[in-house]
Amino acid sequence: MNRTKRSTALALAAGAAALALAFTGCAPSSDDGGSGDSSAALRVWAGSQTPITANFNPFAPTVLHAALGPIYETLFFFNKTADEAPTGLIGDSFEFNEDGTVLTVKLKDGVKWSDGEAFTADDVVFTFEYEANGYADKGLVSAEATDDTTVVLTFDSPQFTREFAILGSTWILPEHVWSQVEDFATFTDENPVGTGPYVVDSVTEASYTVVANENYREEGKPAVKKVQYIGLDANQSAQDLLSAGELDWTGMFIPNPDDVTANGIISTINTPQDPTVLYTCANAALGCVGEQTDVAVRQALNVAIDRATIKEKAFVGLTGDISPTFALLPRDEKWLADPANAISPQSPNAAEAGSILEAAGYTKGSDGFYGKDGAPIELDLISVDGWTDYNDAAKLIAEQAAEAGIKVNASTVQWQEFSDARQTGQYELIMGGVIGTSVADPYQIYNDWFDGKSTIKVGEQLLPGTWNFSRYDNPVVNDAVAAAAATNDEAAKQAAYATIQTEIVRDLPYIPLVINATQTFTNSKDYTGWPTEDDLYAFPPAWGASAAGVILANLTPAK
Amino acid sequence: MKFYARRITIYLVTLWATISLNFLLPRLMPGDPAEILIAKMQRAGEVSETTIRNIRLILGSGSDVPLWEQYLGYWGRLLHGDLGISVTKYPTPVTELIANALPWTLVLVGLSTVIAFVLGIGIGAWVGWRRGTWVDHLVPGTTVLQSIPYFWLALILVAVFAVNLRWFPIFGGYDVFAFPSGPEPTLAFLSDAIYHGILPAITIVLSSVGGWLFGMRNMMVATLSEDYIITAEAKGLRPGRILRAYASRNAAIPSIAGFSITLGFVVAGSIVMEQVFTYPGVGKLMFQAVQNNDYALMQGVFLVITITVLAANFLMDLVYGFIDPRARHNA
Repeated sequence: MNRTKRSTALALAAGAAALALAFTGCAPSSDDGGSGDSSAALRVWAGSQTPITANFNPFAPTVLHAALGPIYETLFFFNKTADEAPTGLIGDSFEFNEDGTVLTVKLKDGVKWSDGEAFTADDVVFTFEYEANGYADKGLVSAEATDDTTVVLTFDSPQFTREFAILGSTWILPEHVWSQVEDFATFTDENPVGTGPYVVDSVTEASYTVVANENYREEGKPAVKKVQYIGLDANQSAQDLLSAGELDWTGMFIPNPDDVTANGIISTINTPQDPTVLYTCANAALGCVGEQTDVAVRQALNVAIDRATIKEKAFVGLTGDISPTFALLPRDEKWLADPANAISPQSPNAAEAGSILEAAGYTKGSDGFYGKDGAPIELDLISVDGWTDYNDAAKLIAEQAAEAGIKVNASTVQWQEFSDARQTGQYELIMGGVIGTSVADPYQIYNDWFDGKSTIKVGEQLLPGTWNFSRYDNPVVNDAVAAAAATNDEAAKQAAYATIQTEIVRDLPYIPLVINATQTFTNSKDYTGWPTEDDLYAFPPAWGASAAGVILANLTPAK
Repeated sequence: MKFYARRITIYLVTLWATISLNFLLPRLMPGDPAEILIAKMQRAGEVSETTIRNIRLILGSGSDVPLWEQYLGYWGRLLHGDLGISVTKYPTPVTELIANALPWTLVLVGLSTVIAFVLGIGIGAWVGWRRGTWVDHLVPGTTVLQSIPYFWLALILVAVFAVNLRWFPIFGGYDVFAFPSGPEPTLAFLSDAIYHGILPAITIVLSSVGGWLFGMRNMMVATLSEDYIITAEAKGLRPGRILRAYASRNAAIPSIAGFSITLGFVVAGSIVMEQVFTYPGVGKLMFQAVQNNDYALMQGVFLVITITVLAANFLMDLVYGFIDPRARHNA
């Protein structure tokens, strides 16, 4: 109790050292300002480790979380938790032409940069032409400002599927600042000028603080005037701080969330996003070796797995149920062609696994394991040492497969070995993740993970931005992905996705397991306006780029 | 004089060898920093092609330069006091990172090492002196504390004293909420920093005092059976004088040698303590550097550690003669 009083006293007297000293000596005992006090900062841990280095350059790999969303903004905000149209941040509306090669963006009027300069269409043109954004290599033919609030972007190919990349993850830069930057690679941008609700106040090795942007376009926002991002090295510290009510917002995994919500201050929300799967090196034509290259083995494994047990035992019941189509349900409901594919089987079926294998010509040996021509099926399953949930799941899978007569050897490897294995395709099975899509559309997964152009033959490294670790290359899928990319017509896209889904549900180059939990903890006692189950207006964790700015601008201190 | 010249030469050769190893070892590690970073970002969600391209541009390994040229360049920069730029904390110079972390480590780990040593030697001497009585039970007691995995001990102490009783803060080198603009030269800050150091210091002392105590106690018991102690007792010297001037002084010699080595390692910080308490220090720099294949940072930290350990050894070599007259005579 004494400590909080002193902290408050000190916070009030920040900057005036001598004054602070006097306050500490005689802190008035009636003072008991909670953290909902308008002068107190909202405390966030977005995952930064100490020591913190001041770097608000959105192109830097070590950029601090507050730069993306709270300071720099994209044109539009895409809520990745729901199937809804993007909302305008500094953009007002946008429109594609018929074939998707010309994108016309209308901007909001009267927006100012945090240094008081007016934001205009020229800034947007500058951003899209800026070298670090690399749009020249991505087919941008021209970017033109037709008037102060209109930008026309012309591309050499349809951009329907890149809508999010262009409008939702390109950080708009102030031309009057960034045109002076000599080398974006070494620029640390310690006093960033953005259009977002916050500006940088101070940065130390232990934390950094952002304060309300006086020039923010929305009157009266942000209501929370000061936000302090802290650095922590251990998840346990964050959990302890939450329990003690000293941390207001974070996104992290806590196996038993009741422990921290018991204090009546912290609320939690779980928004599963990213699939966990078994990568299988599936394509013998590209050089994969092992019995998993036989589709029957993958299908048998798929039905032999007890997903309900894996969810309970390895992921403490916090994961979501996965659809073998990789559409995130219920968000991507409209893209699910066949309702039968809504969810992967949750309970194991050893008999079915057996009959699939027998139909494919495998026979059960005397040791109880299936094999062909005297050679038993034996698959090596690796997971990264220390990712304990994955290690546990791998062990469970090995046991469950054994019950269905498939021999799986689970082992753990160092991260580097895992990375090399999946990059070069020299593996049989890997416990791995798939990146969930940022919009309500599974296209990005189909394109990056299933398309033949996103892979390379075994022994070579995948190209940057391609994730087809399974080496899956199916002309039917490739054509359908290309067809989906070229159209903005919902029915045509649905038809293409239906084709893809039929193929991948049968072929199973990635055997779906669960959808990873994404937990967020918020102080709902002192602040209101957080995303909730009923009003999931943004992806809630504190580390979410763009969404963090939207959430912060929406918060108000509780009275 | 010849003795010292020989020692100095040996130390110079060792220094050269360690610095060269320091250059070579990180380069034998597999993987490159850009890949690690991309994969890490990928775990948190979609990573755009542009980001990946930029990361490779910024962190791409300049591995087409031949190794020996890198080696020469390494020495050249080293002699100018330039340890390079950290990749993990891009683009902070390594010297700055180490300079900021070192004071915290030196004060906290240094002080608690000294406290643990003094306590261990003091109590060890006393326990050895009173051998065969109830105080012998202190030995297993403290060794149990030492054998508990450090991180576990630290977590328990945090759970009890910081989270439940709220006597101590949960994390940090100072109250980051009260001092959002960082360390400042005021009394309030100083007392806050001391307050934040108490619990980490206690964990270090608790987990290392047992070793000193055990070693000292056994040396004490051995020394007490020496003829000169019996002589001293026969002469009728006061027990207190025998304890301090005769037994303890001789029994402490091996511990003092060990202590100097330990002091050298103080600069390495305490990786686990710094993780558990999010305490600033050198240990976490080393940890993060190894995790992220941050060669420059790794080399910088290892360099500081090797030099200090060598220096501590060297000093010990020089002063050992003063502590132990026998060493002086043999040399």
